[in-house]
Amino acid sequence: MNPNLTRRRFIKGVIASGAAATTTGMWYAANGQDRPAGYVERLIRINVNGQMRSVDVAPQETLASTLRYKLGLTGTKLGCNRGECGACTVLVDDIATYACSVLTHSMKNGRIETVEGLESPNGDLHPVQQGFVEQLSPQCGYCTPGQVMAAVALLRVNPNPTREEAQLGLSGNICRCGSYDSYLDGVMRAAEIG
Amino acid sequence: MVATSHDVMPDIELYQPTDEANALDLANELGSDGWLLGGGQDTYGWLKDRNKTPAAMIELTQIDAWKGIKETADGIEIGAVTTITEIANNPLVQSRYSLLAEAASKVASPQIRNVGTLGGNLNQDARCWYYRRGLDCYRAGGNICYADSPEGLNREHSLFGASRCVAVSPSDTAPALVALEATMVVSSSSGQRLIPAQDYFIGPDRDIVHMTVLNDGEILTAVRIPNTWANAEFYFEKVADRNVWDFALVNVAAAIKVSGGVIEDIRLACGAVECVPRRLEAVENAIRGQQRSEEVASRAGEIAIEGARPLNYNHFKVPLMKNLVMRAVRG
Amino acid sequence: MAYMHIGKDFVPPDVPGKVTGRIKYAEDYTREGMVYARLLTSPIPHGRVLDIDASEALAMDGVYGILTADDVYPDGEPQSTGLKILTNEPTLVGEPILAVAAVDEKTAETAIASIAVTFERLPHVIDPLESLEEGGPDAYNGGNTFVFRQGFVQEKWTADQVASFRAGNEPSAEPPTELAYGDLDASFAEAAFVYENTFTTAGYPHMSMEPRSAMAYWEDGKLYLHGGSQSLTAFADGIAGIIGVAKEDLVFVNVATGGGFGQRARAGSVPVYGVPAKLSQKINRPVMMRVTREEEFTIGGARQGFQGWIKLGFKQDGTMSAADLWIVSDNGGKGGGGDAFSATNAVSIVYQAEAVRLRGVSIGSNTAHRGAQRGPGENQIAAIVSPILDKAADELGIDRLEIRKINTPQNGDVGGIQRQPFTSAYMPEALEQTAQLFDWEGRQSRRRQRNGSKVTGLGIGQGYHNAGRSGMDGIVMMGADGRLKIHNGVGNLGTYSYASTSRAAAEVLKMPWESCDIVTGRTDLHLPITSPQDGSNSIFTNTRTFWGAAQDMLAKMKEIAANELGGSPDDYDVSNERIHQIADESVGYSFAEVAQRAMELGGKYTGEAELPEDLAEWTQIAVSRLAGSGFMGVYHDPAHSGNPPGFTVTALEIELDTETGKIDIKDIVSVGECGTVMHPQGLKNQLVGGVVWGVGLSVLERHLYDPQNGLPASTGYWQSKVPTYLDTPLKIETGWVDLPDPENPVGARGIGEPTQGSVSAALNAAISDALGGHIFNAAPVTTDMIINHLAGTSEQATPLAQNNFRG
Repeated sequence: MNPNLTRRRFIKGVIASGAAATTTGMWYAANGQDRPAGYVERLIRINVNGQMRSVDVAPQETLASTLRYKLGLTGTKLGCNRGECGACTVLVDDIATYACSVLTHSMKNGRIETVEGLESPNGDLHPVQQGFVEQLSPQCGYCTPGQVMAAVALLRVNPNPTREEAQLGLSGNICRCGSYDSYLDGVMRAAEIG
Repeated sequence: MVATSHDVMPDIELYQPTDEANALDLANELGSDGWLLGGGQDTYGWLKDRNKTPAAMIELTQIDAWKGIKETADGIEIGAVTTITEIANNPLVQSRYSLLAEAASKVASPQIRNVGTLGGNLNQDARCWYYRRGLDCYRAGGNICYADSPEGLNREHSLFGASRCVAVSPSDTAPALVALEATMVVSSSSGQRLIPAQDYFIGPDRDIVHMTVLNDGEILTAVRIPNTWANAEFYFEKVADRNVWDFALVNVAAAIKVSGGVIEDIRLACGAVECVPRRLEAVENAIRGQQRSEEVASRAGEIAIEGARPLNYNHFKVPLMKNLVMRAVRG
Repeated sequence: MAYMHIGKDFVPPDVPGKVTGRIKYAEDYTREGMVYARLLTSPIPHGRVLDIDASEALAMDGVYGILTADDVYPDGEPQSTGLKILTNEPTLVGEPILAVAAVDEKTAETAIASIAVTFERLPHVIDPLESLEEGGPDAYNGGNTFVFRQGFVQEKWTADQVASFRAGNEPSAEPPTELAYGDLDASFAEAAFVYENTFTTAGYPHMSMEPRSAMAYWEDGKLYLHGGSQSLTAFADGIAGIIGVAKEDLVFVNVATGGGFGQRARAGSVPVYGVPAKLSQKINRPVMMRVTREEEFTIGGARQGFQGWIKLGFKQDGTMSAADLWIVSDNGGKGGGGDAFSATNAVSIVYQAEAVRLRGVSIGSNTAHRGAQRGPGENQIAAIVSPILDKAADELGIDRLEIRKINTPQNGDVGGIQRQPFTSAYMPEALEQTAQLFDWEGRQSRRRQRNGSKVTGLGIGQGYHNAGRSGMDGIVMMGADGRLKIHNGVGNLGTYSYASTSRAAAEVLKMPWESCDIVTGRTDLHLPITSPQDGSNSIFTNTRTFWGAAQDMLAKMKEIAANELGGSPDDYDVSNERIHQIADESVGYSFAEVAQRAMELGGKYTGEAELPEDLAEWTQIAVSRLAGSGFMGVYHDPAHSGNPPGFTVTALEIELDTETGKIDIKDIVSVGECGTVMHPQGLKNQLVGGVVWGVGLSVLERHLYDPQNGLPASTGYWQSKVPTYLDTPLKIETGWVDLPDPENPVGARGIGEPTQGSVSAALNAAISDALGGHIFNAAPVTTDMIINHLAGTSEQATPLAQNNFRG
């Protein structure tokens, strides 16, 4: 998690006797059952593309799974489900993250952005999307949403990267079609469009 | 029969303690049934494959006390739950202990560095694919090693310290911390113990199932780096097949104090040649006090590989290790 | 030639959807009531299923049903090589045995884990040479190779024969396949330089980024199948037969596909789509079958590996006089492809050897099934031949570019084992253009220069693949709105050839691109048959069909106009979306008007009469459903003659670090020779993609199977070593020759595959160059191999080992 996050503890219910507890914890305690502190609530509200969404999320659920199956956001792809390809890259608090390799519950305090959230409300493409269109960066397109998000993360931190910096920034994204050169052209163009 | 393709997370409990005491209590209570979760980058693969089946995950990333990098009286302290990216980009680390920043920047891929933690990188399990596949080898509690066999695929395995198991230490930050003479801070609900980085990692001769000295209920909560090697000359190099994601075939971390061309003192460690980061004391002793030169660098390399016992397919690691040590000393 | 659309860049209609995430791949679809299916696959490399006890699974909450091989093949499984929909006789790890549908994947996995499958374990083999050796295990039931019309047979050599081959000698066994032309002995006798050695090239997986997941449901007797494919109508045509549904009752929905590279062009490569089809029929619910990355590895196909021997002879002037190849091809677990033939063909074509011979045998191994992979045969042999060519050049005192010019194919030449004439061949121009762009001459002074521990190597290489077919069908439609609807059966695998070839239709009618619609993506939009989108054929083949269909519409427009407005059809032409008299532009119809007239006239103008003979059945169904609904142009393309080639040339400079074995490509130029360039950005994408694939073949990718238990280690992207951003050059310079081919209406030919071959040829040559001419006779040449060579370290790798790449 980004240590620069404000210290928001996602605590529901009463803090009892110095130990953090959820309402669930209190319920179990009240019923004489052991429910150790820190147990997760399934029903959560998460910030996705600027909207608060209420979702029932199992403890073990990956962010990719929640996005694709519960929120209908299928732009984020599953290429390998093991953090080895980058097709599932999303942003959490501006940080490029493999959605397949993080739990939704780990990211629930963050600002989650997927490729679907990049266009402006009137449908204008984000500069990265526009740059990729102009340079014909995508080929089969399956890795494209991940490349787009990685490029967005890069340009937020480094709005005028060198080609080497762009290469490093996107290096966690595989393109089996081998469109790396065209993606880099797209990132450089996106930086120009600004 | 060995499991066929599993791919989704199984049912498992998740705890997100928000303070240290909670976390330590949970770790103590759950013991080996509780999986300590940092960034999770060496977790979800095991769980999806159903090759490890803990009852619960204890997520540590909500505990601010174990995050961040701060100056101390005699060095810096890095919370074990600090991300690799943060360490690689941190001004303190970059200016004084760039060896660690360099090593951190070579870990895996950017997205993995963004959520992966230092603790996770240090505690990561062996990458031997037989073990990862879920086969019943020694490390998995069985009684065979598939890699150390006449036909075993052992190109990425060890040169030293084989003792039934021939897996290697895969971490890039570990040899850097050994070279920086770091101290690991291990906490439990019964207190804290401090362990020199070099002694934190253990080989199969001591414990074939664990890669570190962490007992059940213990959590690596911080890493302290002393001033000893601050602003020394550093050398880090990782040679891997691909330049992203891949674990080192061999890596080298060196901290050197040079004055007037003389090697006043040096700490050298190699990763991926043994089950632990291999501190090259024999090399250090041989070249300490010597005038830095091609010959001294060469000799360092020769000494470094003494005692290497290659397996079928990893002979190349011998000249590679020799060359990397030579380059580290040469500067 | 000044064209309105040909040779110009444009934004293909699917691109915005790709960058916004709106475009859907198979896994992105949902349907009400949909359930999730996962596969139980074979955990062992070779066996027979004796019993399946799924009682616990079927009793589980949330489980909807199971599909087994017995369900699919009630009369018994087909006894042939090739993947089955499901099987009880697996010959590779990961072969699908049954599928379970459940409310979610977690439940499906848990259910599958509870199924007790009893296997009879059969002997397995990873290395084809082990199987060739008498007494060695056979990968299949009944033999280790499959002979057409004969069945499974055993092909065996003596232990000595195998040992001798591994030791580096020409195989002495009788080959089942032998093809030759010319006088080999005489040609070798003329050679001033002869090189002879054994060689090996690794098989490795396609690893398309989209796994072959599929979703299926039945509605009103029709099967709706959402899947990925390189092709569209060609695939649907085939999968209908595999599933056992009539062509007219199948709707295949495939708007975009996440890569294919040869293993998703034909239905025979993806029978697993039959699983959701049949399971959804059985349980009467839509079924989403998700295929995992590991499964995509095991059933997604791989390149054939070669264990071979090569002998090349060169005359004093550098001409390649003779090429003799003996190749043991790895057929994997389900039979393979024809890589050895294609490899030999390529050597014949690219180097115009005077005498050529291929002897070969294909042997099964219980590893990934093999089939076409980007330049199958052509590309892996390029990596082997190119360094030998350089050695010949050095020995004969000829420049390495020069020796390639001396041997180059050109216009008027024939090539290949069948001695086919090229439709055109501008390889000399491609060589020269590359040399200029790269400054080959100027860089020679840097050859083998040292820079600390690094040494510079230079390489230049050529690629080839046949790049065009014919005999397909085209349909264009126009409604009362006057818009041109191009009915496009070409698959969308990321090359944009579906879009660029459509532009040929617009070109004929001089139609502004904004007034055109490409009708594609699902077969219930009534699309004509095409050739499968493999073999680099699409640009050539489909430009012919779209051009022809538009010509048919144009002819009809002229006819209608002449009949109604006077004069003869030749007096008319098109411009500005009107059909008008050439002499007086005011006399004519707008396209909207002539389309309306056509619809009123009916008959042949609306596809209800006088259709071309020889339309494929698939096209006939499409035409019959469109008939009467609009103004139609329809066409059946006759056969072309000759071999339309796709050629590439690559030149590159590397630095090789002699202390670490690592390679860095400092500069690279790739040039395409594919006739008229239809779509420059599309071609550029194929060239840069070929660089990445070339890096993979040359230095990274290989199968990794454990010989002890036959399990695959390289099942994911990490272990498969698919090249990343940081393993490939920062900037690739590209160019193209752009000279027209006579067998295509706009002069275009295809290019997708050879873009890899020239890169591998150049890269392996450059590595040898940097190492003072040392030839590895292998692909990939990995970091450890380079270190071992430089250090003189020996290793215990078995010579010519296949699928067991040192771990």
